[in-house]
This record gives sequence, C-alpha cells and structure tokens, in this order.
Amino acid sequence: MKHKTFQQARAAVVFFIGALVSVASLRDNFVLAVTAVVVGMAVLVFMRSRARIPTDERDIIIQEKSARFAYAVIAPVLGISSVVFLFPSKSGLTVFSKGEFLFVESVGYIFAYLTLFLLLVYAVSYRYFSGKYGGNGHEQ
Amino acid sequence: MRSVIGIFPESTEGTGMNNKLKVYRAIQGLTQEEAAEKLGVSRQTVIAIENDRYLPSLGLAFKIARLFGVSVEDIFIYKEDAYEGT
Repeated sequence: MKHKTFQQARAAVVFFIGALVSVASLRDNFVLAVTAVVVGMAVLVFMRSRARIPTDERDIIIQEKSARFAYAVIAPVLGISSVVFLFPSKSGLTVFSKGEFLFVESVGYIFAYLTLFLLLVYAVSYRYFSGKYGGNGHEQ
Repeated sequence: MRSVIGIFPESTEGTGMNNKLKVYRAIQGLTQEEAAEKLGVSRQTVIAIENDRYLPSLGLAFKIARLFGVSVEDIFIYKEDAYEGT
C-alpha cells in the first residue's frame, strides 16, 4: 500500500469511526461506541503495518520541536496552577478548607503531582537519551 | 513562530546555509515529487530544503549529493564561504 493510499484509507476509517461513535452516543449504545473505536484502531494498526511509509527526518524534527514546546508550556502552567490552587487552603483561609471550595486543594495536589511526574519523565528520558547518544562523560 | 520567547533559539537567517538543490534538480530534469521519491523523503521536505527553511541531516545531504553525482559542498554552501567568495 502506497503512502497516499494509506492516508486516504486512514481518513475513511477515521470518518467511519466518528460516524459510528456519533450514532452510538445518540442511541446511548456504549457497546457500539467501544466496539467501533477498538475495531477501527485495529484496522488502522493493520493498515499502517502494510503501508510503505517513508521515514521523513523533517517530520521527526517537527515532532521533537512540538514535544519540546508542549513540555515548555505544560510544565510551568501545571506548576504555577498547583501553587495557585494550593495557596488559599495553605494560607489559613478557612473558607477554602470546606464546602464547595474543598476541591480547590485537591486540584492543587493533583497538579503538583502531575508536575513532579512530568519532571521525573523528563529527567529519566534525558538521562536515557544522553547515555544512548554517548554524552555521559565516561568515554575516553 | 520562529522563536517563542527564547525557548527555541534559531538562526536569524534561515538555516545559515545556501544550497543549489533547485539548480541541480533542474539540470537533471527532476520534479520535486520525483526527487523526493528518490531521496525517500516527502515533497514538503524537498521544498523546505530548496527554500533554505530546513537543513537536512548529514545522511540526507550525502544522499542528495550522490543523487546528482556531486560532492556535498557543491550543493550546500556554508554562508561564511559564500561571503568569502564575494
């Protein structure tokens, strides 16, 4: 299967999945929606394995830059949001420690842990790729 | 979006290189599509290289040079070299 054929077939499958999920949600049919998504994903995986898709280095660089941009945006936003959400309950304002504002502290904790997780993934992947590309400083 | 508040520092003048890919492609009578197919990349990549918006990897640079039967330096010119020639 050529790349262009694969792209057309993929668009058709995605459209078909979307249509089936829409019908399923209109009819409150959860099973149909899940089946459509699972079968559609299986078809897409099968088609991709058959397609001869050339690896394009420019695409890879675009993906890398997009990932860096996403990290550079998400990490500070999550970190600052966690401080903003945790500050009211930790500053002794009792109104934020009960009732309808109780969720604010929970959201703050979730964001804080997500930030830590993101930093951890970055640090681990940085160390892995640094070793992979020979940048660990042990070479003679 | 060339540089987002310094997160992605980039050369201010394209790739910092000039290239003659378009010239050699015209000499060989290849379309962008045909050149892309022979090089195993997308047409967009060929267009980006020709317009100095993307600097290919060393591997692709050699592939391009081999395709036209010339050396890498015949196709890709470091801008300092271009200034020295003037």
